[in-house]
Amino acid sequence: MDCSVIQPDLFAYHFATLDEEARARVDEHLLGCQKCLRAYLGIKRHMELGVGLPGRPSEAARLRLREAVADAFRPSLGARLGRWLRRPIPLYQGLATAAVVLLLASITPLLLRRPSPSALPGGERVDTSRSHPASLAIY
Amino acid sequence: MESDEALYVRVKQGDLRAFDELYARYEGPLFGFLLSQLGNRADAEDVFHESFLGALKTREVTFERGGGFRTWLYRIARNLTSNRLRSERRGVRAVARLPSGDHAPPAEEALVERELFRALDDAIARLSPALAEVYRLRCSGLSYEEIADVLETPLGTVKSRMNQMVSLLREEMRPWTAR
Repeated sequence: MDCSVIQPDLFAYHFATLDEEARARVDEHLLGCQKCLRAYLGIKRHMELGVGLPGRPSEAARLRLREAVADAFRPSLGARLGRWLRRPIPLYQGLATAAVVLLLASITPLLLRRPSPSALPGGERVDTSRSHPASLAIY
Repeated sequence: MESDEALYVRVKQGDLRAFDELYARYEGPLFGFLLSQLGNRADAEDVFHESFLGALKTREVTFERGGGFRTWLYRIARNLTSNRLRSERRGVRAVARLPSGDHAPPAEEALVERELFRALDDAIARLSPALAEVYRLRCSGLSYEEIADVLETPLGTVKSRMNQMVSLLREEMRPWTAR
């Protein structure tokens, strides 16, 4: 089929408004004709790029929008805390936390135990029966 | 890949990573649509910002079928665009053009191609607002059903406008395509 017959149909082909028979005709022609295929791809690219132009909002605009969304949908303190408590904990982190807790649990009684007032190193005992603190006899 | 609707729900729960994902999907096509409708970046950025935020902040919307968020977003964008254009009393839609030399086939072919695309841009600029809108939404990747949703018109009307637009382009471009 002649290119001059196919090419006017390329717009309809791109927008899928051709009937089935016409579409099949264009499909078949494009498979064998580099010139028309290049024309079709060029038109397609131009139309799509022409709409999606260079082509993105600026980075400043993106950050402004992101901040606005963050402000609008910031979760409540309760929701954030709940989410933190429900988060999955890695195994190594759990084991390390358990080890620290056990260590603290075992040394805390030692730290809190006060030495007995009647005992000195070496087994000597302090006589606390006298009331005057200056006249403590050691025996 | 998570659907737009699932990401929408997560954004409303404060998940900014979901917002980043959703934004990445639409920054190109939606911004391109707005830029082609409004003709300048500043306006397009403003309307993009308002559309996205408006779509997210609307009280719980139920999306009945796939593609629901997309049409919702485009509908808001289109309404905001119409309001802005009406308030600025613009009579002519500016069709932004590709920078020349964007793609590089051989010299003579490049010249012919450039003239073809210039003629195409002129033909699109001469379309009526209703047909131009359908053209731009279709080029943004929306299906006919989605376009009908965005424009809040029957599907038949959209198809009829598409056919009309294609016929006009075909006639306008005949001198270029029948060589």
